[in-house]
Amino acid sequence: MEAANSPDEFIKASLASFGIEADETDLAVIGAAHQLFWPPILELVALDTSQVLAEPNPDLSQAPPR
Amino acid sequence: MSEALDLSLREQAAAIAAGEVDAAELLEATLARIETRNPALNAVVETFPERSREMLAAAPAGPLHGVPVVIKDEWPLPWRAQRFGAAEMLAEATPGESGPYRALRDAGAVIVGVGNMHELGASSTGNLSVYGPAHNPWDTERCPGGSSSGPAAAVAARLVAGSVGADGIGSIRYPAAYCGLTGLKPTFGRAAMAGHHMADVSTTIVSGALCADAADCRLLDSALFGEELEAGAASGLRIGVVAGEVSEDVDPAVREACEGAIEDLRRETGGEVRTIEIPELAVATLATILIANSESLGGITPERLNNLDPELSPLARGLLKFRALLPAIATVKSHQIRTVARRALAELFADVDVLACPTVPAVAPPLEAPVVELPSGTMTADEANVRGGALANLTGIPAISVPVGSADGLPVALQLQAAWGRDELLLDAAEALGRANGRRWVEAVPPPARGAEPLEA
Repeated sequence: MEAANSPDEFIKASLASFGIEADETDLAVIGAAHQLFWPPILELVALDTSQVLAEPNPDLSQAPPR
Repeated sequence: MSEALDLSLREQAAAIAAGEVDAAELLEATLARIETRNPALNAVVETFPERSREMLAAAPAGPLHGVPVVIKDEWPLPWRAQRFGAAEMLAEATPGESGPYRALRDAGAVIVGVGNMHELGASSTGNLSVYGPAHNPWDTERCPGGSSSGPAAAVAARLVAGSVGADGIGSIRYPAAYCGLTGLKPTFGRAAMAGHHMADVSTTIVSGALCADAADCRLLDSALFGEELEAGAASGLRIGVVAGEVSEDVDPAVREACEGAIEDLRRETGGEVRTIEIPELAVATLATILIANSESLGGITPERLNNLDPELSPLARGLLKFRALLPAIATVKSHQIRTVARRALAELFADVDVLACPTVPAVAPPLEAPVVELPSGTMTADEANVRGGALANLTGIPAISVPVGSADGLPVALQLQAAWGRDELLLDAAEALGRANGRRWVEAVPPPARGAEPLEA
């Protein structure tokens, strides 16, 4: 399978795969959001967090257990 | 009666309790003031005088007996469903007794109106709403802050002395900062939350008070918490100044005011200041955005996204569809980052009592173009503001925004954050800051509240 080679194609293909319709205005907004968020999302995804066990159901009213 | 209207929240409560002010007269005067001042501000989107009168008639002799307040359009009332500032909110909304409503009612307060808010709570600016934007009383061409835009503008213009907002990513603190108010984002889970349409799924949203000063917030938040928030001295306060862009990529006038305020606070409390590094801050900010946006996805289907209300703004329509594209791996890692950030803060709070940084890096931007100029360049206010606002929502810690100065005639604010459950300490510190600067900034009022001619709508 060929990877989408531009954000526009990725966005259109992803929306289409969910059956989500988007007009030109939607695509412009989504494109701007993608441009803003995608680079830091890629950085986040690239982090090696394999040693971090997320707190299951953290009690956010208190400090995490030691 | 205009004198009573301009009293603080606690002074109104005390005057009513002492029989010096008639609560029914205060209610009518408040409604009249809303009618006069609100058209230029659009802070209050609905009043219901008969409901308010009924609420007063049934009000118990609580700590807020007879005191008029505004509540954000995020909370259902028995006679009105919330609209979340939007033509469609993708969640069921029905009238009912929300937690904040019950807390206010049981304290004897009188809800006089619903405060405007940014559409779907999705911005720090308040420049978009199904009702049209609220306006900043300091300059009606400027953003009031969001998403609790109306509650903030209503208090700043002294339509009421206190209001209830909600904070999912800074949504109490940003408008408090832009409008020159004090706003507390409570520790997660401490303030009334029942009845919120996200109550069962959100791990970031809390209710909280917006008032002129910390003493008023203490009174109103005590009602929302269901417990008295005791006052203390905040002596020997160990202040950690957050290093990095949140404190440094800031408008020079904002930076100067905040640095001066931190020194004021140190001197007033006999405390100490040190610089604190939070290496996880940037990724924690993204993690907050991803978690908060993914938590609302449960109510979304492609069919709903394909049939959105045409009155929803193009921006909201596009962003709702964008949310569907957020990758699961990023959300999973965001929860890991939350754990990392919480552990880092737990260690930090062994060495400092409060973290300090500007609430927002620049004063309120224009409604028409909410962008800010920072040393690093021009960026949207949302992009800039979230840097300082997200950490408390991600980790659950309390945070408060306190007015500490002015730039270009607009308020400047300092944010203080503390460990879980130390909401009272933040209120103590905010009061100490007020003492240190002679209460200059908490008592500053914008033109509509100085008795100036009503602004043109």
